[in-house]
Amino acid sequence: MVDLTDGPHDALGIELNVNGELVSSTVPVRQSLADWLRAELGLFSIHLGCEHGVCGACTILVDGRSVRSCLMLAVQADGTDITTAEHLAEEGGLNSLQASFNQHGALQCGYCTPGFLMTATEYLREGGTPDRERIKERLAGNLCRCTGYQSIVEAVASAAEELDDQ
Amino acid sequence: MTGIGKPLDRKENRRFLTGGGRFIADLDVAGVHDAVFVRSSLAHGSIHSIDSSDALAADGVVAVLTADDLDDDSNAIERTFYTLDPAFVEEASVFLAPYSEPLFARERVVRSGEALAMVVATDRAAAEDGRDLVFADIDPLEVVADIEAALEVDSPQIHPDIPGNLHGRFAVKVGHPEAVETGHSVTGRFRVHRSLGSPIENRGVIAEWSDGKLTVWSTTQIPHVLKSFLCEALGLSEESVRVAAPDVGGSFGGGIYPEEILVPWAAMKLGVPIRWLEDRTEQLSGSRHSRDQVIDATLSFGSNGKFEALSMRILQDCGAFNPFGITLPYNSASHARSVYRIDNFSCEALCVATNKTRNTPVRGAGRPEVIFVLERLIDMAAEETGIDAVALRRQNLIRAEEMPFPMGMLYRDGVPMVYDSGDFPAQFELALDISDYPELKRQKAEANEQGRLLGVGVATHVEGTGFGPHETAVVGVDFKGEVYVHTGAQPHGQGLETSLAQVCSEVLDLEANRITVWGGDTALTETGGGTFGSRSAVTAGSAVLEASRQLRDRALGLAATALGSESSQLELRDGLVTDGKRTVTFAELALVASEDEGLPLEATIEWTPPTVTFGSGTAVALVEVDQETGLVDVLEYTAVDDCGTVLNPAVVKGQLEGGVVHGLGNALLEEARYDDQGQFLTGSFMDYLLPTAMDVPQMKVAHRSHPTPLNPLGAKGVGEGTTSSAPAAIINAICDALGVQATEMPLTPERIRGLLTGKAKETAWS
Ligand code: FES
Ligand code: FES
Repeated sequence: MVDLTDGPHDALGIELNVNGELVSSTVPVRQSLADWLRAELGLFSIHLGCEHGVCGACTILVDGRSVRSCLMLAVQADGTDITTAEHLAEEGGLNSLQASFNQHGALQCGYCTPGFLMTATEYLREGGTPDRERIKERLAGNLCRCTGYQSIVEAVASAAEELDDQ
Repeated sequence: MTGIGKPLDRKENRRFLTGGGRFIADLDVAGVHDAVFVRSSLAHGSIHSIDSSDALAADGVVAVLTADDLDDDSNAIERTFYTLDPAFVEEASVFLAPYSEPLFARERVVRSGEALAMVVATDRAAAEDGRDLVFADIDPLEVVADIEAALEVDSPQIHPDIPGNLHGRFAVKVGHPEAVETGHSVTGRFRVHRSLGSPIENRGVIAEWSDGKLTVWSTTQIPHVLKSFLCEALGLSEESVRVAAPDVGGSFGGGIYPEEILVPWAAMKLGVPIRWLEDRTEQLSGSRHSRDQVIDATLSFGSNGKFEALSMRILQDCGAFNPFGITLPYNSASHARSVYRIDNFSCEALCVATNKTRNTPVRGAGRPEVIFVLERLIDMAAEETGIDAVALRRQNLIRAEEMPFPMGMLYRDGVPMVYDSGDFPAQFELALDISDYPELKRQKAEANEQGRLLGVGVATHVEGTGFGPHETAVVGVDFKGEVYVHTGAQPHGQGLETSLAQVCSEVLDLEANRITVWGGDTALTETGGGTFGSRSAVTAGSAVLEASRQLRDRALGLAATALGSESSQLELRDGLVTDGKRTVTFAELALVASEDEGLPLEATIEWTPPTVTFGSGTAVALVEVDQETGLVDVLEYTAVDDCGTVLNPAVVKGQLEGGVVHGLGNALLEEARYDDQGQFLTGSFMDYLLPTAMDVPQMKVAHRSHPTPLNPLGAKGVGEGTTSSAPAAIINAICDALGVQATEMPLTPERIRGLLTGKAKETAWS
């Protein structure tokens, strides 16, 4: 664990699991988790639409919970387990949620898309139902300017239905 | 097959779903330095000095550049985004003041957020630290933050060469509106507040100067235009500049910005690659501002409800600089009568300078404003005459047999404006049908009895789409037999990689997923227009169609020689040409072309539309208003649109739905606010509210296609129409719910509360 009590540091060592791989690194203490994951690990699914914690484009899963990676420091991620949109499916494939986004036309420019996928992944993993109102509530923290949301809501609902059937 | 009209999944989806998109911030340019801008905190002031010494001493900072590093001549953009035909200028009595926008403010600042200096450092954090150490000493000047105040005789002058703060004006007249004496009219003063394009990706520019060549990556919609601006500004030849757009995260409004010139200039000056990634506050405060009109309007009609005349006067708040001339208010004028027959029309518009960010065309671009005005006036006229609002609209629609319908004025391209095709009544009835309008009215009545406020609103729109001048497409076959399409269009969410492949697929009888579409790069096509104003399906689509046909003919000709048969006997499909017995492949033909003719197997078309083609639509909204909070819930929404030939129904559906929700934001939430000192108050997504999934109604969208004769595809643009009618439909529904006549948008909860209390007072007094 990073010991934050032993005085000021410019950089600290961290060790964490990212998309199934163990990573250790020394990170500047003021670097955001989003900036570090993008710059050091090339995880470009993390998009920075506001860096104010509002748009949700930078959403990733930290220990299974959706987190705005622009609002978290890299040092705070020490010891965690992180998943990004790069790791939702096998290389070259789409998982059922991604396939559902594709089918329902739930993306246009694609900038907001990874954030929506991660928020929806958390919802589905919690056993989220196809109830449109609940899905809308859960997605309300992610902004999309292109699609008008209806197709995204439908995509999540049909992915939830598919999981229900299994 | 995968040709025109098939609901193909978009080719681009896969990369965006798996983290494979490459946006500007993802590009890896070796040795890149980060730039940030020092911006004015004052909206109007005179600059004493800018002290960069502390910043220059800071860790990682390599340079601080200001206006002093540029000579006067090169410190300004003076090229505008319009060319007006002299006959048009005469006809519309156009006046335009000169446009000159400094790259860096020198001597004076005229809006908050104007760039004073650029800090370049080894990384972004160091650049931001450096920015905080630059000290600008600016004396405040009196601020002009209000459009009406700007026009007063004693108002402070924002620019010495723009007397009276008047950027421009025009006046158009159709028929004899002044002579119409019906005795019946409705009048209002309408305010459409400023709103923003606000894509989710911020802007960004990266520039690299090496071996006498400049490469610029930008989140632009118009790479070829940016290239020509750069050549002019930096004194470079066409051959030495390449502009490319990577994946772009939406746009919704455009132009060329000072940063797009300054970053390349700095890269040349400092000899290192430079990257600028805009932050959200810069995006909200400093780019893609739009709307912001005050409109006085009167609709005159006979006692039978027949519309006789519409007259309006538009004040357009253009902000400090006006590169778009009269574009926005003229769009307003030319779409003000929508789908209705109104033989007498007049519109005078003033483009006014204020100490605010420049106004640009954003999705709808002048249309949502006037559609709101017109459709509000019609509901007011319905109240006045006692004729049902739907019946009143119905009786005034331009009839199908009257098409093509001349509108009696010029479009902005100087061509007489004609509604080229469509069936407005059929479209109108279809929207009422799909929405089950009588049922909505019944729900409203029932809710009212229970003390709930429900309302139904109807609105229409037209949209001139596929604006010129030209668009370029290259369709070719490489030595492996792969088919590629290169276009000057620059997709940023419109699904062009798919729809354009479908057009080519149709002609070559080849699966669309075997056709690769590339756009947005000046290295691919010599010329190009770009993607804006709902034009790419029309212009790039037609160019790809014609180029594919030409390529097909060439391939057939080459195959005829190779096989020794008549080309009329040959069949071309799946990348092969056959005479029934023998076959040649595209790969072989590409080789033949190169060996025999010394040319690639390729066809290039620069397609120019004769003028715009008009899309149109009808919308029906059902809303519920919470009387306590003033919050509006849009319950149901129907949009029917005519976009001519549909290239890909899934893409069109996406455009229609996205457009509705943009309009919903304009109707209810989105307002870019300034205080009376010109300070921008809505610099984050907490202050500037975009619609979220929670705000979105059950949407039903449909199209009723009437292909246009004006292009070989029969396509009309679809990007902005539903945004134009949505605010009007939703606000009409709110007015229906409240029993008031609102004249302002957005109708935020506080304004709705104001309307409710105003009404309560009225009732108390009467
Ligand atoms: S970038 Fe993190 S919430 Fe917008
Ligand atoms: S697809 Fe463009 S912001 Fe959502």
